[in-house]
Amino acid sequence: MTENNMNPLSTEMLYPVQNGIGNMVRTLFPESAFIINSLISICSLFLLVSLLPVFLIWLERKVAARFQARLGPMRVGYHGLLQSSADGLKLIFKEILKPEGADTFVFFLAPILPASATFLVMAILPFDHHLQVADPAGGVIYVIGISGLSILGILLAGWASNNKYSLLGAMRSGAQMISFEISLTLVMLLIVMLTGTASLREIVLSQQGTVADWWIFKLPGLGLIAFLMYMVSSTAELNRAPFDISEAESELTGGFATEYSGISFAMFFFAEFVNMFVSAGIAATFFLGGFLAPQIGVAFIDPLFAVIPGFVWFFLKTFFVIFLYMWFRWTFPRLRVDQLMYLEWKMLLPANLLLLMSGGFFMAMGGIL
Amino acid sequence: MGDFLFYILATMLVLLSLVAVSIPNLLHGAIALIASFLVTAALYIMLQLEFVALAQVMLYIGGIVIFMLIIILLTTGLGEDDSLNRIRMSQRLSRALIPIGLLVSMFYFLRKTPSAVLQSETHRAAPVTMDDIGFRLLSTDNGFIIPFEVISILLLVALVGAVVIARKDRNGEEDS
Repeated sequence: MTENNMNPLSTEMLYPVQNGIGNMVRTLFPESAFIINSLISICSLFLLVSLLPVFLIWLERKVAARFQARLGPMRVGYHGLLQSSADGLKLIFKEILKPEGADTFVFFLAPILPASATFLVMAILPFDHHLQVADPAGGVIYVIGISGLSILGILLAGWASNNKYSLLGAMRSGAQMISFEISLTLVMLLIVMLTGTASLREIVLSQQGTVADWWIFKLPGLGLIAFLMYMVSSTAELNRAPFDISEAESELTGGFATEYSGISFAMFFFAEFVNMFVSAGIAATFFLGGFLAPQIGVAFIDPLFAVIPGFVWFFLKTFFVIFLYMWFRWTFPRLRVDQLMYLEWKMLLPANLLLLMSGGFFMAMGGIL
Repeated sequence: MGDFLFYILATMLVLLSLVAVSIPNLLHGAIALIASFLVTAALYIMLQLEFVALAQVMLYIGGIVIFMLIIILLTTGLGEDDSLNRIRMSQRLSRALIPIGLLVSMFYFLRKTPSAVLQSETHRAAPVTMDDIGFRLLSTDNGFIIPFEVISILLLVALVGAVVIARKDRNGEEDS
């Protein structure tokens, strides 16, 4: 941090793509490497954002099927792998219906916002040591700020649909996301306080060492509690079951997305799944050591694990957290609206403040570092 | 390159702000306001004020505008009551005199005595980092620790006030 104080916004620090491809471009085209590297990283990110939901939807259906002792999609491709691409293709060619009396501009603007929000957050996820499109010093603030865009999209979609179910779903969803954002931010603040940095890459690098140095295990018990709190509040933030009252099928026929069809609906749906990946990736970054290989202190396994590249570990950890989200979905029954608000304002928020205080206490006593 | 980008952003900012205050549909105005906040954040990034840009996005788009939107969505009859057109032209012109006067005087004084901060090379070269802001806010010597703490007390008062307003009235209706 300190040696860069004179020019903290140098391109090397802002765009730390220093992997093989980035360096090759740098040697081939020294002048325009800055632009080419940015373009390459944005294109690969775009590819990832468009391919991930296809895989995640398949995974969700398979996991759901396993929990219910059935097979899930089996026909299209090997074990139904191509099922969600077929579904996506169908959605693209479907007609987009606009309800009568809907606000055209807002109706078509709304699905774009959550999709672009997920794309923007993906840009600062540290996939590997130098595989990150940008690493702003205030990465955590950026994540929190951008997530406001998805709330915005959902609120606008609900209003523009000119449908009472949509509006109800949007209002519920907005209230829920704003409330749970508080505890999500407080959990992030705990880690930022302990690491002393708000840059996602620095947070990962603060967990170097063995598995015991990951933030989930580091504070005596508190890290685990913080991780659980993050999981609960991020599930609520993602509007996933058991907190899916905003699109409760049985009461609201699908909530804010009721009137959407075709590609507009696909954008909401895809954004939801990429959002799940992003929030799992942030959980891996904050608590599970991000791209660092798990070093368990056994002499012959540790070098073996260290050989495996960092992005593999990142994806493994992220998909583990995603599996946890899917597990939640088929384990807990849905909460009522008042129970949801009770959980956030009367249980999670005071618990979070206590956690923050005890984290500060441990830090002052020097018990963690 | 930088100048070109600045003029594009500045033009967008002026246009979006004009749309935000002049469009009859309140929701469309709010969306234009959001877009203008985003463009302002982009301008801050061009000035290398990273923290201010992030705070702009987080506080205004993530917080204030969302609450404005919720209030707008809870009202009915958006854009039907077109009270903006009922203001007479003479009234508009007379009110425009105040901002025009302010702009002209600001321009005059800035031309007459250019700020020393704008000219010095050291201030141009070193942008303010997040760490600088944090240290300056919380340091006890030459810092802003007392205003910072006073603001936190103010926020606490606002929070307690919100709880008092939202609390159920014990003597009143119990079933609500």
